[in-house]
Order: sequence, then structure tokens, then C-alpha cells
Amino acid sequence: MTRSRFVAAFGVLLMLSTMAAFAQTKPKSIKLMVDGTFQVKENGEQALVDGFKALSGIDLVLNHPIHNEYYTKVDLAFATGDIPEILLLGGNNYIKYAQAGMLVDVTDLYNKSAFKKNIKDPGVIEAVKLKGKLYGIPLERGNGTVTYVRGDWLEKLGLKAPATYAEFLDMLRAFKNKNPDGLTPDQVIPITAAGLVNSDPSAPMDMYLREFYQDANPDFFQVAGKWVDGFSLPNMEGALDRMRLAYSEGLIDKEIITNKTSTARDKWNSGKVGVFNYWAGQWNQNLQLNLAANVPQGKVTPIPAIKEAKYIERPATVYAITQKNAKNAPSLFKYWYEFVLDGGKGQTWASFGTEGIFHKVVDGKLQWLPSIQDPKKPFTKAIITAETPVNKWNSRYDAPELIDKSLAVFQANSVAYGLIPFSEEAMELVPDLNQIRTKYVSKIVFGELSVKDGLAAYAKETAKYTRIILKELNSK
Amino acid sequence: MTQRPTRNLGRKLYADRMYYLMFLPVMVFALVFSYAPMAGVALAFTKFKSTSVDGPEWIGFDNFENLFVGIKSDLFWGSFANTITLSVANLVLATILSVVIALLLNELVSRKGRSFIQTVIYLPHFMSWVVVASIFTIVLSPSDGFINNLLKGLGAKDSIYFLADEGWWTPVYLFINRWKETGWGTIIYLAALTTISPEQYEAAMVDGAGRFRQMLVITLPALSTTILIVFILNLGKVLNIFESVFVLQNPLVYDTSDVLTTFAYRVGFKDGNYALGTAIDLFKSFIGLILVLSTDAINRKIRGSSVL
Repeated sequence: MTRSRFVAAFGVLLMLSTMAAFAQTKPKSIKLMVDGTFQVKENGEQALVDGFKALSGIDLVLNHPIHNEYYTKVDLAFATGDIPEILLLGGNNYIKYAQAGMLVDVTDLYNKSAFKKNIKDPGVIEAVKLKGKLYGIPLERGNGTVTYVRGDWLEKLGLKAPATYAEFLDMLRAFKNKNPDGLTPDQVIPITAAGLVNSDPSAPMDMYLREFYQDANPDFFQVAGKWVDGFSLPNMEGALDRMRLAYSEGLIDKEIITNKTSTARDKWNSGKVGVFNYWAGQWNQNLQLNLAANVPQGKVTPIPAIKEAKYIERPATVYAITQKNAKNAPSLFKYWYEFVLDGGKGQTWASFGTEGIFHKVVDGKLQWLPSIQDPKKPFTKAIITAETPVNKWNSRYDAPELIDKSLAVFQANSVAYGLIPFSEEAMELVPDLNQIRTKYVSKIVFGELSVKDGLAAYAKETAKYTRIILKELNSK
Repeated sequence: MTQRPTRNLGRKLYADRMYYLMFLPVMVFALVFSYAPMAGVALAFTKFKSTSVDGPEWIGFDNFENLFVGIKSDLFWGSFANTITLSVANLVLATILSVVIALLLNELVSRKGRSFIQTVIYLPHFMSWVVVASIFTIVLSPSDGFINNLLKGLGAKDSIYFLADEGWWTPVYLFINRWKETGWGTIIYLAALTTISPEQYEAAMVDGAGRFRQMLVITLPALSTTILIVFILNLGKVLNIFESVFVLQNPLVYDTSDVLTTFAYRVGFKDGNYALGTAIDLFKSFIGLILVLSTDAINRKIRGSSVL
């Protein structure tokens, strides 16, 4: 009897100690590195941190650089050893750190997670896998850009949304030459963008000017299982020719090369621009509010992609756990990912911020409150974009029709781009190569080089880069 | 009986102790902020990226080999040539224009007028390069910029995209630089002009020299040492052009505008290859040192004295 009691007590002790070993101890704090998609200091950052502490009992220690310096600071954080526990990574930067073994493989944790069963589109998760492994979890879809046109101009001109490239050009010509607001052709910018090639490394190079790029992609992609340099394919010639002709006809913004994203937006807001390809969703509302401030009758209308083109959904940005903190990975996973995708209080905090500061509840529905930075406009997000979470949940929120419509147009007309599994050595060459690509697109479109001469010069100048990169990509 | 030199030195140091005490903060500042960071140049001889888990790895001159003859050599030598062209042109223009404007200001009789002009030409120096770039992007805009409107008014058919035209970019860059910095550059020359004795001008007037002749035979020779010192001091930092280029460049003018500092920034900070970025910057500093030493050597040959 005594012996059996002893065995039972020993068994219980063994069980408890095993449970203790596997239990995720609650961290006192989580060191998080985020970009400008997390609310900035001037717009309620501290309220979000306080809200997290109140709900979880955990301090959120933020490293929150300004948006356009984010990846420079991420590199510095890794180089100096001041590495966060969890950080936001997108595009090539995600690949770089995952390939270098600096991020924790969270595939198993994801597979065992409570939120996995609620993932709306498993394709979004698959798109950020590298060699079948997950090194980060997206909280929202990658999203992409949609073409916005001045809906009021279309109506006044009696035009329908263009369905083909020819109709698209006719619309640009009509905006310029028969402008319904009485602007002279010199004053109208039929279409604008921040450059002829997108330079944001977390998004595809051909994301803007979709009507001109159509099926051409100046980056690397796979054709029948083999990686190729899209810039050297015949369809790139067509894309360059279209841009070149449209530019020489005055349909593309004369200053497109010197435009920054903010400049292009300002031009749109001024009411002189007819077409602007920009982020789907909340940006529809922002563009509408900003345009209406200058042109009260102005209407920002997202249009379906023309027959020859598709919009592009970029691979989602992910939150990744750093290898330096691998031993705490289960605990970090539980208290961050499981929390912000819990479909309840945690996700409400991550999507809508703290109640009373970011949102209020009216008749059981969530409504945004005026933003702290600009009280004339409502808050639109906390951390996760409320309209595009990766999981299904009852948010008790009805998005404005404008946002829903632009997302619906985008999702019905987009294709998803995948990640390019560059090696570390290849990654080092990519920024130089992209700069050369941008240079040649610009020179060809501006008429400094013919399409043929430009492509030949490109091939010559980049041969040593593309040879190395393609050899590496195709050897995998 | 002769005293030991160390004793002498000790006495001298003790006698001048208050001066040394005053110098101490400057020395500490220089050591901490100028000399200590120089240890970082060792990175140029290592492999060190943001993904280097084990820290820098010693690789000798491999980074320089990569720059001089490796895959990045075209971009490196292109940016080197641009650096030399833009820097030297900028330095020569800066020296000539600053001296000329200082001389012209010196000739102004009205004190109020002189103060007003000085204030106006000093102001651009205090503007950030981002603001200056925005101003000139607007002024030179091919759509509705002031200059293109003016040209159209004068009968020009097509507008000129000054900032995106390789032929125009360098002259425009130099003009913007001079617009911003020439006024500030006159300060030292104006100070030097006040040290010239008025008696020399009076004597020259008695000898029948006009104002232009006085400028040639009195003012310019009196300024020559200052001009040379300022030239050599500026030569030391002449290759450090970054902000002005960075805010004014665009894809159409990369071939003429990419300089060593923008290249180093891109490689070092944007791509996270700190070792290669350091190697580019170390090479730039080495060229700067050669420029300063050779200019001083030429000066020593011509004038028989060194300014270093």
C-alpha cells in the first residue's frame, strides 16, 4: 500500500514537472519592432501599448522607427545585436533573414495554433513559406493597388470605366483634352505615379501603372518551373513601348521620375490628376477625403482591371520571431500571435485599438473615433487592417462602403505574386540590378534610348548580375 | 650646466597649465568623436553584414578587390568619376564665386546695403537640403515651373526637365550648390579683407591706381594666403558630397549623379553590407588625403611654405 502510494505520488510529481516544462511561461514584456503601420507616437501609440498591458498584463516594448527608415533600422538592430523578440518583415527582407537562419521556424507552432482553423485563405500563408517552412505569420493579407479614376469626370464625359487598353488610353485623352472641370490640357495630369518602377522593396516592381505593364514583369519569375529575368522577355518590349508612346503623348505625368509617393498623392489631392493607381481599401477613403477638401464634387472611383492586365497582390508582411529568442518562441507565439488573432478581445485591440480612444461601441457595433493627429478624419486602423485580416472573426464592424468596394474590386481582379527565394549572395546584387532596371525603363520611356537599344544596353550591363542570380535560383 | 629637457617640458606644462586645462575639453571631444570612431575603418577589411551572426570576419582586401575589379566595379568607378567631377567643379566654382562676391561686397559703400545683401546671401545656407531640393524641383518643374514658364514666354516650344536630363543635371546641381553656399563662403574672405591696412589703398590712390587696379595689386595678393588655406581646408572635405546629390538624383541621371557617398550609403545602409560600405568610404577618405597632401606640396613648392 505504502509502495503504491509512493508510486502514485511520484507519478503525479513527474506529470506536473513535465507539464511545467512544456507550459509557456508568460513573458513580462515583449520586445516588438514595427514600422509605420503600427500607430505612430503622435497618433496613440502609447494608448495601444497601455491597452495591451491592460488586456494581457505584458509590457509591449516598442522599437518603432519612422516608416521609410524601417529596414535600415532593422539591419542595424541585427548588426548591433539589439535584436527584438518579434519584428515585422516583408518581401526581400523577410527572405534575407529567414535564409540567414535568423528567424525561428514557426511551422509547427502555426500548425498547432488555435487560429489556424480560422484562416480565410490558406494561400496567404502558403505564399510566405520558404522551402515549405514558415518563418513568420501574416496578420493581414498582402493587399495591393487598384486603379482609381476621377469618377465625376467619367460621369460628366459620359464614359464607362475602360475595359481594354485602347479604352483606357481614350479615357486619358478625354480627361486631358475635354476636361470636365475646365482644366486646360497643360493643367491636367492624365495619370501619375511615384516613378515608372516601384522602388519599395516590400512590393513588386510592376505594381503601379498596371495598364501599361500588363503581362510584363521586370523582375525574376518562373516560367514552366524555370526562373527567368522578366526584363529580357519579349513582353517587356511591349510594356516599354506602351509607356513610351503614352509619355510622348503627354498622357503620363511629365514629372513621374522625380515624383515621390507623397508628391503623387498631393497631385491627386489637388484635383488635376485623372488616374492614380494606389493601395486598395482604406486608401480609397483617404484619397476621397483629401480630394474632397480641394474639389468637393470629386469622386474617387476604383475600376476593374482592363482585359489585358491584372492587379497584383503582394506576399503579405509577416511578424517573425528572431532566432536569438528561439527558446521563448512558444511563449511569444502564445502571447502575441494567439492574442492578436484570437477573434476576441486581443484581435479587437490589434484591429481597433483601445476603446474610448480609437473606437466606440454603438448598438453593439464598433465605430472609429476621430484620430488624435487629425481630428477631422477618423482612425482607420490600430495594427491590423480591420478589413483584411487573415482569419475569420466577428469584428462587429461594418467597413465604409467605399473601402469595401475598392477591396472587392481589387480582390476580384488581382493575381498573387510569390516570394523570390534569393540566396544571400544573390540578394546582395538585387538592389544594384533594380537600380539599373529603373534607369533603363526611365531612359526608354523618356525617349533617350529606343526600346531595342535600351534593352540591348540593359542586357549588356546586367549580364554578370543576371547570370549569377539565375544560376542560383535555378540550382534549387 | 644644461637642464634636462624633460624637466623643461614639465615646467613648461606646469607654467601653461591653465591653457592646457582650457584645451582639455576640445581634446576629449576630438578623441571621442573624431579619433575613437576611426577604429571602425577596420570593418573595411572584414565581411560584415546585418546577417553576420558571428560578427565581422577578417577577409583582408577582398572588399577592395570586389570594388576595383569585381562585380560592383562598374558602379564603383562610375561613382568615383562622378565624385571627382562634381567635387572639383564645385570647389573651383565655390572659391572663385566666394572671392568675387566678397570683393564686390567690400566695394559697397553703403553699410546698410552691404548688411542687407549679406543677410540675403547667407540665408540659403541655413535651409536644409530637403527644402532646397523641393524649392528647385518646383522652380524647375517641366509642367508649371517658373523657369520653364519663362522659357515658354520667350518662345521656347518644349519644356526642359532640368533635373532628369543628364546634360542639364550637373550644371543645375552646381548652380543649386552655389546658390545655397556661396554667401556663407564669403564670410572668411570678408573677415580677411578687414585686416588690409587702409594706408595701402591711400598710397595706391596717390599713385593714381583706380579701384580695379587697387583690387588687383592690393586686395587679391593680401587675400591669397586666406584663399589657399580655405581651398586646402575645403579640399579635405570636398569628396563628402552626399545630401545635395541624394535629394536631387533620380533614375534618369544615375550615370552622372551617383557619387561614392550615395553608393556607400546604398551598399552600407540600404543593403546592410556595412563592411563594403566602409571600404567605399575609406577609399574616398584616402583620395581626400592625397588631394590635400598634393595641394600642400604644390603650395610649398610655389610659395616656399606649408599650410598644414
